Amino acid sequence: MMKYLFGCICSLLLLLPSGLGAQGSDEKRPPVTRTFFLNNAYVVQSPGKVIDLGSVLIRDGLIQAVGKDLKAPADAKVMKADSMYIYAGFIDGLSNLGVPKPKEDDRSNRGRGQREYNPSYERAGIQTERSVVDMLSPEDKALSEMRAIGFTAAHVVPRGGMLPGQGAVILLGGDDAGKMIVSEGSSLFAQFQGASGVYPNTDMAIMSKFRELYTQARQHKTHSESYAKNARGMSRPAQNDVLAAFGESIDGQRAIFFAVDGIKEMHRALTLSKELGFPLALAEVTMGQKAIAPLKASGASIFLTLDLPKAKAEAKKGEKEETDEEKMMLEKQRAAAQQLHEEQAAMLSKSGLAFGFSTLNAKAKDIRPNLERMIKAGLTEDQALAALTTTPAQMLGLSDIMGTVEKGKIANLVVTDQPYFAKGANIRYVFVDGMPSEYEVKKKKKKKPGDPDAKVMAAGEWNLEIDVPMEQMATPTLTITDEDGSLSGKLVSGMGTNDISNMSLEGDNLTFSYTTEGGGQTVTVSFDLTIDGDSLEGSMSAGSFGSFDVEGSREPKK
Amino acid sequence: MLVLVVLLMTTASLSAQVVGKATKGSFLLKNATIETVTKGSVKGDLLIKDGKIADIGSGLSATGAKEIDCTGKFVYPGFIDGGTNLGLIEVSSVSLTQDAREGGDIKPFLEALTAVNPSSVAIPVTRVSGVTTVIAMPEGGLIPGKAALINLVGYSPDEMYAGFKAMRMNFPSSAARGRRDRRSEEDRKKAEEKTFKEITKLWDETKLFAKIKAAKATDASIMQEYNPTLEGMIPVVEGKLPLFIEVNRSADILSALKWIKKTGVKAVLTGVSEGWRVADSIAAAKIPVITGPVIGMPTRQSDRYDRPYANAGLMAKAGVTVAIRSNDTENVRDLPFHAGFAAAYGMGREEALKAITIVPAQIMGLEDRLGSLEVGKDANLFICDGDPLETKTQIEQVFISGWEIPMNSRHSLLYDEFLDRSPGIKN
Amino acid sequence: MYKHSLMLFLLLAVSALSAQVEKGSIHIKNGTVLTVTNGILENADVVIEDGIITRIGKNLKTPSGAKTVDATGQFVMPGIIDAHSHIALDAVNEATHPITAEVRTGDVLDPLDVGIYRALAGGVTATHAMHGSANAIGGQCETIKLRYGTFNPNDLKMEGAPRTIKFALGENPMRVHGEGGGLMSRTRMGIEHVFRRGFSEAQQYLAAQEAYNKNKASDPSAVPPMYDRRLEALGDILKGDIIIHCHSYRADEILMLMNVCKDFGIKRLVFQHVNEGFKVAPELAEFGAGASVFADWWAYKFEVYYSTAYNAAILTKNGVVTSINSDSGDYIRHLFHQAGKTQRYGKLTDNEALRLITLNPAIQLGIDDRVGSLEKGKDGDVAIFNAHPLSVYAIPQMTIVDGIVRFDIKEDGNDQRLAPDPEKVDMMMLNYDEDHRCMEGTGEALFHNH
Repeated sequence: MMKYLFGCICSLLLLLPSGLGAQGSDEKRPPVTRTFFLNNAYVVQSPGKVIDLGSVLIRDGLIQAVGKDLKAPADAKVMKADSMYIYAGFIDGLSNLGVPKPKEDDRSNRGRGQREYNPSYERAGIQTERSVVDMLSPEDKALSEMRAIGFTAAHVVPRGGMLPGQGAVILLGGDDAGKMIVSEGSSLFAQFQGASGVYPNTDMAIMSKFRELYTQARQHKTHSESYAKNARGMSRPAQNDVLAAFGESIDGQRAIFFAVDGIKEMHRALTLSKELGFPLALAEVTMGQKAIAPLKASGASIFLTLDLPKAKAEAKKGEKEETDEEKMMLEKQRAAAQQLHEEQAAMLSKSGLAFGFSTLNAKAKDIRPNLERMIKAGLTEDQALAALTTTPAQMLGLSDIMGTVEKGKIANLVVTDQPYFAKGANIRYVFVDGMPSEYEVKKKKKKKPGDPDAKVMAAGEWNLEIDVPMEQMATPTLTITDEDGSLSGKLVSGMGTNDISNMSLEGDNLTFSYTTEGGGQTVTVSFDLTIDGDSLEGSMSAGSFGSFDVEGSREPKK
Repeated sequence: MLVLVVLLMTTASLSAQVVGKATKGSFLLKNATIETVTKGSVKGDLLIKDGKIADIGSGLSATGAKEIDCTGKFVYPGFIDGGTNLGLIEVSSVSLTQDAREGGDIKPFLEALTAVNPSSVAIPVTRVSGVTTVIAMPEGGLIPGKAALINLVGYSPDEMYAGFKAMRMNFPSSAARGRRDRRSEEDRKKAEEKTFKEITKLWDETKLFAKIKAAKATDASIMQEYNPTLEGMIPVVEGKLPLFIEVNRSADILSALKWIKKTGVKAVLTGVSEGWRVADSIAAAKIPVITGPVIGMPTRQSDRYDRPYANAGLMAKAGVTVAIRSNDTENVRDLPFHAGFAAAYGMGREEALKAITIVPAQIMGLEDRLGSLEVGKDANLFICDGDPLETKTQIEQVFISGWEIPMNSRHSLLYDEFLDRSPGIKN
Repeated sequence: MYKHSLMLFLLLAVSALSAQVEKGSIHIKNGTVLTVTNGILENADVVIEDGIITRIGKNLKTPSGAKTVDATGQFVMPGIIDAHSHIALDAVNEATHPITAEVRTGDVLDPLDVGIYRALAGGVTATHAMHGSANAIGGQCETIKLRYGTFNPNDLKMEGAPRTIKFALGENPMRVHGEGGGLMSRTRMGIEHVFRRGFSEAQQYLAAQEAYNKNKASDPSAVPPMYDRRLEALGDILKGDIIIHCHSYRADEILMLMNVCKDFGIKRLVFQHVNEGFKVAPELAEFGAGASVFADWWAYKFEVYYSTAYNAAILTKNGVVTSINSDSGDYIRHLFHQAGKTQRYGKLTDNEALRLITLNPAIQLGIDDRVGSLEKGKDGDVAIFNAHPLSVYAIPQMTIVDGIVRFDIKEDGNDQRLAPDPEKVDMMMLNYDEDHRCMEGTGEALFHNH
């Protein structure tokens, strides 16, 4: 575990621009200043409201002034912002950012053999009394990844079963979990995630259990309140934190957030809210355009998923034997199905439904391309911006403190060299809570897949980071030696050392594989990586275990 | 578990007695509409003698023959099911009553005929529907073993054996085995490739084994180790024993056709549920097909709902020789309905009828004995009151190899016993 | 408070069901109309207006705005009803407890299942979307109409259809909770005990509720019993609000459940599969229990080894309301043929055979006032065939639900999926038995384990 954490921190340091993350072994220095001045920029205060060549003054975490003709105060660090674009920091409607995955336990093997007929709340995945704030880890690398594409705040929820606990809104920066938290207990989080091997296992049972819990919670609340008024002669209500946690939702004060996987789950959540009367928020919504009327009737807060089905070029190849006509028909169907996903945001906008976005199932690297696809499918840039800023702020009840570039709000800002949604726009600064992260402009956009004409050096010692659920394999070291163009190497991981002879480099594309024993079978592990300077990225596939993302950086020469 | 098996065996033999004995003799079917299948429809008489069709004509008479008035009735050749597990599986969820699936992958030495249980309760249930002859198939692995053609009458497998055997092969495929098949596409492809390698190795080794064996015949000094696998494959590799290749996905069918051409085996394609996709290629290769079930699900979610019904007809139209099978065990009796659906969905009644009579006989090279009503052929036939593919038609009397079959089965006997139950609820 | 919240809950539940469903008007002209309840009408018309049959007769006038369908030479019958199906469901078994009376398949309907379309292409207009047979007392089921095309699961629900629940006897619950669980029920004795215990506990629960309701006015400190959905559901069975549909095979277990029901005053009972129903047909008739059977399935497990394809005929001739069901995504597509088999096995008349897939399943589901025959005032659910539907050569031509054409052989293209996953290739599966879902979710690999 230590090794894993260390790897994370290392990579944080590598990925991070200067400014944040200046830990290390030296004594911690306070920042030189907490006042920043951005001048001569297009300040997009809110969707459609732009100050041409204006300024923003940030002090002690807040936006102190916005407007034209501001002067940089003496204590300010003046950031280069000429002709750049300043937006309010983006707000993620629902995710697990900053909430590390718990260690795998053996749950998957439960359920056979002796059955558990009356599982505990915990075993059943019913943990409403928990709060995500107790699980936050500022080191989670997902925080910096999301920040790097402009997200500055997120409504985060615990991981778990059908009712994993209470969510909170956090800022995506800061080295202290306590300072990250903006609002605690903002939501009760629910999902259609059954317990393995015990009740509730299917969505059927989750629906029923939810109704039962909610009704019991109402009963428990009434009982407790009557008992508090006049205990004498009344049976004492049992202490029950799980039921008590529903109280604010019963009072209409706290939304129950459902992350839904598909339109059917969305309807299930709508059904529960309609029956039981609690305030509802829906996250990870897909195909919402097929449910406009029920969505409108529900009054639910809506967060559309920023995860889209992979674009065509990446989609798996079809079987080869179909006739041309059949192939065309299948492709037409597939394209239509794809469009259902891409045009959701535009169609909802057209229907007048307000929405934000959520990223629970989205990968950071896909989010900007996905936004681009939605815009191509008819969403306007202002609508997209509203869904990233003002609307989620409003839906999370935080419009007073975030969502726009206005005086008095938390200094969460995104600064780009071109309009955010323009092709090739680079993010230059992201301010979280008044402190900036700075980003270098990448010299050249990497071509995908690989650039056969690129000239790169493969030799050296590479620290890899593999997004694989096996700890031993998560942070191996790859050593490559180049003898007159002939590459060889070895991969050292927690699973041992593997020598690699079949390494090949074409342009910037490095591929190699080796075989190993795993789970009683021989597994071929193959890597397909693209090298860019001293960093690389790509994927590792390991037979039936699947395919995993790989990132890495070259150890500086000693 | 043992107790259960004993119990099953007991009940099975009991019911064989209950169903009654078949009778052999001479039978003269008078004034019938005789649907010969190969020579049109004939009004007249049909004489069964010594297990054969002795004569067809009008005004026939035969001394000593039992005369059966068939006025207004029809006579059809017994139906032949080109692929079943009948006799090999008694109760599919009780594993100890299953004899179709031996362990292992390459098992050419296995004989399905050995395990055919003549007392299987499903046999009388099947034959009273007019299905007189079926192929009993072993299952599982690359080479499940040898299938055998059986008549549905007899007290021993040998008595039932109808003179045809074929080796079975499950052709390698990278198709998913079902929704629960979690293997990646890549892994399925790898497994397929591995199987292909095994086949090549098996063929090469068999050829060498056969060569050494031939040499041994003239040279007593040559020793050859006991090798039942290769021994069993020799007639297949040499193209003498037919190979029934189970293959369903269109890509696999094409690859099977290529492989057949390369190896020169005497092949029949079975299953062939996506045959309609590549019907022209099958026709061009002139490889016969035994397809079914017809009444089944489309193989892909995107397929038109009626593909399985239409498959046989589409292949036939493209020029493929098509027989129909039920691929069933206890409900092989549905065979005429499979043909009926194929008929309705484009094959036409005449072709569909042939697909369960003369065509399977031809595919097995038994067209001189089975599959139509012609003088000299085996007396496998039945009398019915209408179109036997039609659901409501009653099959009135079945003959198999000239045996007059008792028209009882567990199903009809339970009907007889319980229709008006005695003692009834109120006596 | 308790009662209040329950009332609110019920009100909300009702309003949740009253989703707007699409209805249409159609004039079907000049067909052979198999009414099922009023004989056969040659060269007759059926007029459906706004989803309801308004007229049946000769040379009728087309209502304005109605679509016309020429049925010359064709057979027009009531839409087929399948009293036992698992299509259009995202989950079938909640196999985690011997009693799961509180769960409802109506909560996991899948309107995107292409199986719905395939059933429509077999003339089916309504199905009983059942819980599986893993538990002695399974979940509540939903009677649905095949309104394929909607993305809203609630649109499938047949509004106003009575509640039903799945029970199961014999090998399936014995295996799941006996061999698998090491608790009740390993035997048929244990299964009986599960019922008696469940109903007795529900009686206690109802009594506690009643006592509370009686006392609460006079005693402000009275506290209601803790809400328990499982006992609520069992209580609703005792009150007669839910029809039991029980998976069963052997005669002894069928008698057992009738005895249990008699002891607890339960009257609404339909046996499913009920392969040995023929042995106890007089008892079933006397109880008034329905029987929903397979046409000819047998021998796939030991408890159906002593079966007969004449089951439906024996039951029918003994006065038991009998239907033929599919329990299969495959067989649902040719129930008309399955019904026809009762003519080979038992010589039922055409109308007796047609009733097995129309009016009788409607009676068993408590919806016979709405569907199951072609009559004025009933729902416009119709199937049109090119030949008599009991013929093996019959091909469904058009299927109409609430006056909306949901299947038309002349118009429909090949791929009828509504929203395929764009990332998934539509690949071929080799397994023929995947349409049998009765034991899905129990972790067992199965043959025909219905």
